[in-house]
Amino acid sequence: MIAENTQTQMRKGILEYCILSIISRGEIYASDIIGELKKAQLLVVEGTLYPLLTRLKNNGLLSYTWKESSSGPPRKYYQITDEGRAVLSRLDVTWKELVFAVETSLQGRND
Amino acid sequence: MNRTIIININSIVFHIEEDAYDTLRSYMIDIKKHFGNTAESKEILEDIENRIAEMFNERIQTGRKEVINLDDVQRVIEQMGRVSDFEESEGTTVEEDFRDEQQAGQAPHVEYVGKKLMRDPDDKMLGGVCSGLAHYFGIEPIWIRIVLVLFFLLGGSGVLAYIILWIVMPIAETRADKMAMRGEEPNLQNFKKSFDQEAKSFSETFSGTGERIGRGARTAGNLLSGCLGLIGKMIAWVMLIFAGLNLLGLFIFYMFNMMNLFGLENPMFFPPLKGLATNDAILALTFGFLAIAIPFFALFFWLTRILFKTDKLNSYLSLTMFAAWIVSIIGIIYYCIATSQDFREKSTINVQKSIQPQEVYYFTEKDIRVLDASEQDSLKSKFNIQLDGQDLRNYLHRDISIYFESIDSLSQPYIQYSYSAKGKTYQLASERAHNIAYEAIQEDKTLLFPSHFLLKKNALDRDQQVTVTVYLPQGAKVVLQREIEHKIRDISYWECRNNYPNENQQKYTEWTMSGVGLLCAQPPKPKEEEEVKSKKKALLDDVEIKKDSIIRIDGSNVTIEVKDNNVKINTKKEES
Repeated sequence: MIAENTQTQMRKGILEYCILSIISRGEIYASDIIGELKKAQLLVVEGTLYPLLTRLKNNGLLSYTWKESSSGPPRKYYQITDEGRAVLSRLDVTWKELVFAVETSLQGRND
Repeated sequence: MNRTIIININSIVFHIEEDAYDTLRSYMIDIKKHFGNTAESKEILEDIENRIAEMFNERIQTGRKEVINLDDVQRVIEQMGRVSDFEESEGTTVEEDFRDEQQAGQAPHVEYVGKKLMRDPDDKMLGGVCSGLAHYFGIEPIWIRIVLVLFFLLGGSGVLAYIILWIVMPIAETRADKMAMRGEEPNLQNFKKSFDQEAKSFSETFSGTGERIGRGARTAGNLLSGCLGLIGKMIAWVMLIFAGLNLLGLFIFYMFNMMNLFGLENPMFFPPLKGLATNDAILALTFGFLAIAIPFFALFFWLTRILFKTDKLNSYLSLTMFAAWIVSIIGIIYYCIATSQDFREKSTINVQKSIQPQEVYYFTEKDIRVLDASEQDSLKSKFNIQLDGQDLRNYLHRDISIYFESIDSLSQPYIQYSYSAKGKTYQLASERAHNIAYEAIQEDKTLLFPSHFLLKKNALDRDQQVTVTVYLPQGAKVVLQREIEHKIRDISYWECRNNYPNENQQKYTEWTMSGVGLLCAQPPKPKEEEEVKSKKKALLDDVEIKKDSIIRIDGSNVTIEVKDNNVKINTKKEES
C-alpha cells in the first residue's frame, strides 16, 4: 500500500512536470499530449489528463485557445504562460537536484 | 433490430444504440460523481465530453457508419479510462485531498444515493405504482398493495391516490432509471447486474405469453370471418353500427352532462348526479362513461378488426383501457356506496315562529316559480337564486307537509317548522337541515306558504323535508285555499269541499278549530236524490203491504190502483 502510494505520488509529480515541458514546446492539443505521454509510458488513460490540465490552467501556468477542427467539435489548444515558464525552469532545477539526489542514493546502494 | 437514441454531446448530434447509450450514461454518471460538482469539475467534464464527441466522430468517419454501438462506447471508455483508473493514478491520498477540497464538511466515502420514485414496469399489476412505492420505501410491494386496498375499502381514497400517482410518477424505462428507482449506484457493476436481472425476468415472463395471446386472437379472428361468411359479416356490420352509435350517444350524453356540471345549463341532465357534489359528480360521470363506453369501444374495435382486418390494438393501450374500465367500475360502486351511506342518519331541527292572532286565518300557497311584478324581490334576495327557466327545476324541493293542531283558546297562535335532512353522520345531517330555507309569510289574515323550499349553499339532495305544524287556538276560523290542499295532511279537504253546493268550482273550504283539530265549518248539503229514493222505496213497501189501495201521485193526475193482484195505472186528465 505504502509502495503504491509512493509510486503514484512520484508519478504525479513527474506527470505535471512532463506535461508542462511538453506544452512548453509549443501550442498543443490535449489528445496529442496524451499521445506523447503514452509514448513515454507515463499515462494510460486520457481521463486522468483533463483534471491535471484544468488544475494547471487554474493556477495560471497554462492558457488555451479554441480552434475549429475538421472533425468534430472545436478543440482546446493549450500553451504555456510566462508564469508556467517560470515554474518550469524552477522545476528543471528541482528535477536536476532530484536526479542528482536519486542517483547519489542509488550509487551508494549499488556499491 | 436495435432502437437508437439521439444524443447531443456539446451540441453535436449522435445516433446511439440503446444499450450503448445506457452504458455511456452510467459511465458519465460515474465520472460526474468522481469529480464532484464544482466549477473546476465542470470544466473537466466538458473537456471529457468534448473528447468523447470527437472520438465518436472519428469512429463514425473511419467506420463509415451512422450509429454508435456498444463496442464504440466501450472502446472510448477504455481510452478515456474508468473511474478506478483515475483513482489508481491519482492515488488514494490525492483523491481524499481532492474530495476534501471540493466537498468541505461532507464526510468522505459516505455516498448517499437518493432513490427516485418511479413506476416499475417489470413488476406491475396495473401501472407499477405499488412496486415503485415499494422500491422507494424498501419494502415488499405486497404490503403497499394491501394498504391501498384497505384505503379503498375504508373510503375509496385509494383509487384516487392511485390514479394521481400513476399520472405523477414517471415510468422507469431505461436501466439507469430502474437503478435510480432501486437506489443503486448507477455504476458499471450495478448496471451489469441490472442488465442480467432484466434479461432473466424478460425471458421468463414475457417471451411466451404475449406471442401466444396474439396468435390466439389472430386465429380466432380468421376463423370467425371465415366461418360466418356473408351473414356473419352483415351481423358484424349491424353490430358495428350499433356499437358506434352507442359510443356516439354516450359521448354526447357525457359531454352535455359535463357541461351541466361545469355550469353550462342544458336540458340533458342525469338526475342521480344531483345527489353528488360537483367534483364528485364529474368523477362519477367519467367513471360511468368509461365503464359503459370501454366495452362498446372494445366491441367496436374488435368488429373493425374482423371486418377491415386492421392491426390489433397496441397491447399497452388495451391494458390501460382494461385497467381504466376496472377502475371505473370500482369508482361507480364506491360512489353508490358512499352516497347511500350519506342517507344513514336523519336530523330534524324544530323552529317555532309565532303568528299574529286573527279571527279568521286564510291559508294559501305562493308559487315561487312565478314571479309577479308587483311582488317585492324579497324572496329572490332571500334565497339568492335565479328564478328563471330550468335553473330552478334542479334546485327546488317540494316535500312540504302542513298539519294543524289545536291549543288553548287564549294562547298565542304559532307555527312550528321541522326541517329534516339526512347525512352520513348526525352532524352532517343537521348541518344540511340548517341549510333548508322555508318560512311562511303572514300578511294580516293571510298566511302565505311558498310552494317550494330552497337549499342554501348549493346543498346536496339528501331527502330534505319540511313539516309545518300550525298551532291555532280553539274556536279560530280557518279558510284553506284550494292551492294549498295538496300540502295539508291529516284532514280530509276533499270531504269538506263536497259539502259545498258547487264543489268543483269551490275555491276554498272553511274550517273551525276544535279540541280534536280542524272541523269542516260547512254543514253537509241536503242529500236530495237519496231522499227521493228512500221515499219511493217506502212507497213501494206500502204497495206490498196494502193489497187493495189507490195511490195518487201528487200533481200528475196519475193514480195507481192495486186490486186483487192487479195493478191499474190511470193517466186521466183532470176535468177542469
